[in-house]
Amino acid sequence: MNRAVILFRGVYGVWLREITRATRDRGQMIGGISRPLIWLLVLGVGLNPYFRGEVFGEVKYVIPFTYLQFLFPAVIVLNIMYTSIQFAVSVIWDREFGFLREVLVSPMPRSLILLGKVLGGSTVAMIHGGLVLILARFADVTLDLDQMAMALGLMFVLSFGLTCFGVVLASRVRSFEGFGVFSNTVILPLYFTSSSIFPLDPTLSRTQTATAYPEWLVFMVQINPITYAVDALRGTIIGFNQFPAWYGPAVIFAMAAIFFVWALIGFRRQ
Amino acid sequence: MSAAISVENLFASYGGKTVLNDVSFSIPRGASFALLGPNGAGKTTLVSILCTLRLPDRGRAQIAGIDVVRQPAKARETIGVVFQDSSLDDRLSAWENLEFHGLVHGLAPKVRHARAEAVLALVELEDWADEIVRNFSGGMRRRLEIARALMHEPTILFLDEPTVGLDPQTRQRIWSYLDRLRRERNLTVLTTTHYIEEVETADQVCVIDHGSIIAQGTPGELKAAHGSRWLHIVPRDETTATEIEIAYPQAQRLGANLALPVASEEMADAFLAAYRNRLEEIRFQEPSLESVFLSLTGRELRDRADGQRDAQRSSGRRGGQR
Repeated sequence: MNRAVILFRGVYGVWLREITRATRDRGQMIGGISRPLIWLLVLGVGLNPYFRGEVFGEVKYVIPFTYLQFLFPAVIVLNIMYTSIQFAVSVIWDREFGFLREVLVSPMPRSLILLGKVLGGSTVAMIHGGLVLILARFADVTLDLDQMAMALGLMFVLSFGLTCFGVVLASRVRSFEGFGVFSNTVILPLYFTSSSIFPLDPTLSRTQTATAYPEWLVFMVQINPITYAVDALRGTIIGFNQFPAWYGPAVIFAMAAIFFVWALIGFRRQ
Repeated sequence: MSAAISVENLFASYGGKTVLNDVSFSIPRGASFALLGPNGAGKTTLVSILCTLRLPDRGRAQIAGIDVVRQPAKARETIGVVFQDSSLDDRLSAWENLEFHGLVHGLAPKVRHARAEAVLALVELEDWADEIVRNFSGGMRRRLEIARALMHEPTILFLDEPTVGLDPQTRQRIWSYLDRLRRERNLTVLTTTHYIEEVETADQVCVIDHGSIIAQGTPGELKAAHGSRWLHIVPRDETTATEIEIAYPQAQRLGANLALPVASEEMADAFLAAYRNRLEEIRFQEPSLESVFLSLTGRELRDRADGQRDAQRSSGRRGGQR
């Protein structure tokens, strides 16, 4: 029989298992739904009126968007980050509870086992990111089909890269205990320094930015890869970029490639 | 035709400690082969090497003529493995676990369906196909794992402690499936166990201790060569024990007990005449694989109380879950 078909079945099997498990994990599902609601309904609505300045009695937004519109793409990224990085738990689970051996004694190559697993994790993460899109109307964001397809594509590649990052983390963590805390200490700093909840005002020059924000914060934002992922989605969804438009997609694809190779090196060792 | 499994001068170590020390054996196709040894003897390491999950330090291991180090992927196609602890996904149903196994072994949809039904019927779990594995008892999980290992029709089956922690009825049932399979499919079965009564029916028994093979042969051969009659005694006090040890240097200490190889009836009579009044318990043990192990290693194969506790714990867990 055709070897490609056999290998495809294997990847499909590993992928399908991740999806099946995700549909049974109610906690993760609730998190995936409640997180965007809190961020948009509470933080977004709460800060919406303050996202503007008054110049000679004229109300002006700092950037030509409302805070909800500005925040919306970032919340998608946040939801993807949580689900992707939590994927490490599934990897640790497989390893510690022995299921991994069942796959390792099958004739499937290691790289395809990992590919199937990561594809499964990134599909779930992309769906969690997609859940946020349901709130688009509420955040006053309108998307046509092209934008939607483009956004979903970027979300998938981002999910893939971050899921691989989760696998890399998993290869360094021995137990579940404290992984929740650990993942929060990774996710939240990355999220907050990604220009997700505040803009780096593009109308200001570099020196002016440095007066508005401390130098270290600007530096953190600029070296954080998530900044560019958020920027890519903002560019696609509300048409606002703080960096050259090609930066975002380039960083997203580079993360996917680098983390996959990194994850593979770690996985081969098992 | 090459042997089903052949191992030559295998060495393995873990953290600087030698786990396998120059292990060699060969198993013909269709045979049932038992690796007998206490916990920590190196059985699981040996199985891990044979099913390509870890590399040996030195030596050669072949599965159906395929070198497990050089061609691991090819070797994996011919083997089925049941691990010492469960490797089922307990959040999936029994059927989904089998479906997964079929997919990663590249079976076509119709074949997957037919085989999953067949193996479920074999282990009498047809009615539980759609139940989530988390709700299964230990025995049901084991049976499902054996079913799964057979789904891709391997020619060699590895069973690492397949019946540990199970109640006697379930153990009996699992062994009867395995015997039937071996007869019907000419399957080669390698089992590791520390339950001595389970290896009495094996074609070949290999006794392993501290990473080395110390005896090998059919159960009958082993009993003939190494089995002697043993006299187990519980001395009344420590002074008696020490005295006996001095008088009979061949005696083996087993905790508070002593075991004496019975060379002849006269020797036993003389011993009992001298110490009868200072013993709490006297028991003769006829030659069995258990006594073979005792002769070879100077230890009993396992702590019996421990085994009983295992069985109790597993039945308690099941009671709590159902």
